[in-house]
Amino acid sequence: MRAGGRLDDFERLYQTTYTAVVRFLYRKVWDADRAEDLAQEVFMRLFQHRPEKPRAWVFAVAANLARDEARAAIRRRKHLTLLTNDPSPGPSRIQAADELVEHDEQLEAVHQALDALTPRDREVLLLWDGGLSYPEIAAQTGLAVGAVGTTLARARKRLVEAHDRQHAQDSHAAHS
Amino acid sequence: MPHIPEDELHAYLDQALSRSQCVEIERHLAHCPACQRRRDGIVALRDRTTALLATLSPARRIPPAYEVLEARARLVRSRRTRWYRAGWAAAVVAATGLGLAGLEWQRATAPTGAEVAALSDSAVSATPAVESPAVPVPEEVALAPRRPEPQRPSARETEREAVPSSDLAVADEVPEDSPAPPAVLEPVGVTLSSGVLSPSMMHFAPTGAWRTLSWDAARQARGQPVPRIRGLPVMEVQVSASQADSGAPTMIVAQQLESGQVIRTIEGPATDVSRLLAAQRTDSGSPWPTISDDAGISGREGSMTLRRGDRILAIQAPLPVDSLRAMIRRMNAMER
Repeated sequence: MRAGGRLDDFERLYQTTYTAVVRFLYRKVWDADRAEDLAQEVFMRLFQHRPEKPRAWVFAVAANLARDEARAAIRRRKHLTLLTNDPSPGPSRIQAADELVEHDEQLEAVHQALDALTPRDREVLLLWDGGLSYPEIAAQTGLAVGAVGTTLARARKRLVEAHDRQHAQDSHAAHS
Repeated sequence: MPHIPEDELHAYLDQALSRSQCVEIERHLAHCPACQRRRDGIVALRDRTTALLATLSPARRIPPAYEVLEARARLVRSRRTRWYRAGWAAAVVAATGLGLAGLEWQRATAPTGAEVAALSDSAVSATPAVESPAVPVPEEVALAPRRPEPQRPSARETEREAVPSSDLAVADEVPEDSPAPPAVLEPVGVTLSSGVLSPSMMHFAPTGAWRTLSWDAARQARGQPVPRIRGLPVMEVQVSASQADSGAPTMIVAQQLESGQVIRTIEGPATDVSRLLAAQRTDSGSPWPTISDDAGISGREGSMTLRRGDRILAIQAPLPVDSLRAMIRRMNAMER
């Protein structure tokens, strides 16, 4: 139903944001298929709820779904450990990432650099990369708008530093 | 003016500052080589971060068509509504059950007929008059022993719940005494992959001579946009080998829905398309209602046509009637 052209806004948002949401989710669940599934779930919920600030809403729901996904993965892992009495952590995000990037050490280095950030720095960086504005990021993370720039500055610096450190270690290991 | 703080430079480059703040920063930058160097460093840092993050992107895929996702959202919503209704029915049953349980207790302690009536009345009067979210009902309450004959929500409600979802027609939402279907029909209980359509819909076999064209050839042959649903992969384009008296020959574009099922767009001279559709329709006894409106759109579940002068644009897909109608309107608008 297209009431007063409102849904056209949602359609436009879908066309312009879907890929960014998939990317945002992918960097949290590290599984392309799962990221697509979750992104579709996000937009289906968007079409059902039709919130006032849809763009920020989309990323907030995406972050929640990704968090639920991570919790479910931890539960599954615990369950598996109990079942098999296997002290090993079982299939993990890192293992999944290994599969994903086995042909690309560069990708692995970036992945680990992102993991090295604090959750808040990572969230702010990913939201910014997803296209949210400072006020939208502030609303979602609970930061003051003025603190978003500070957090982004720190996150960018740490990401690059962690990546370079990782890269240097890999190079050293390869040559030794 | 003191040097510009680093976070402000980030915010400035991220275009997160007000115009007046930008002017102030630019004025300082104009004569401060130190801040210019820091700005350039931050520009490089931003670019580097963006480039690093860009490597962490899944392979690009074609997103599902907006209409498909929206149709799925509507289906989920309508199902949820049904669950709410079912939840209310359960609440009524539970309330009545509680009333009767109380009745049993009261009977043991000298009950009167008036009290019994009051109890059961109060239980029933808890029934909401309008549709509202369901009240959670603890299982043990819902399954209270000595449950009486459950309160039936209504004849219509009962009828809806009793029909298997795969057999639900759009007419389900239309009261029998309604003179005409509403402008937009909410789909009920129809899934994208359910077998709600006749087998002929799934195996589309046009009669007559047809040529299969490549996408480029189809575009050239058409000379105007090939009718299709944007955002869905095109599987096959067929064009009628017989040249129409006027205008382009009939074209059938088959595209794949995310569920794997096929959606076909047919465009051509009215007589040819009508004949084609009639040949596909072997299920004349189907219960699906036929709808039509002033805009020249008519059809039913799984099939929708739009009359455009002496030509017809048609869509066949296992989708609810309102989704098909939205698609055909949109396609018509985009072609113009």
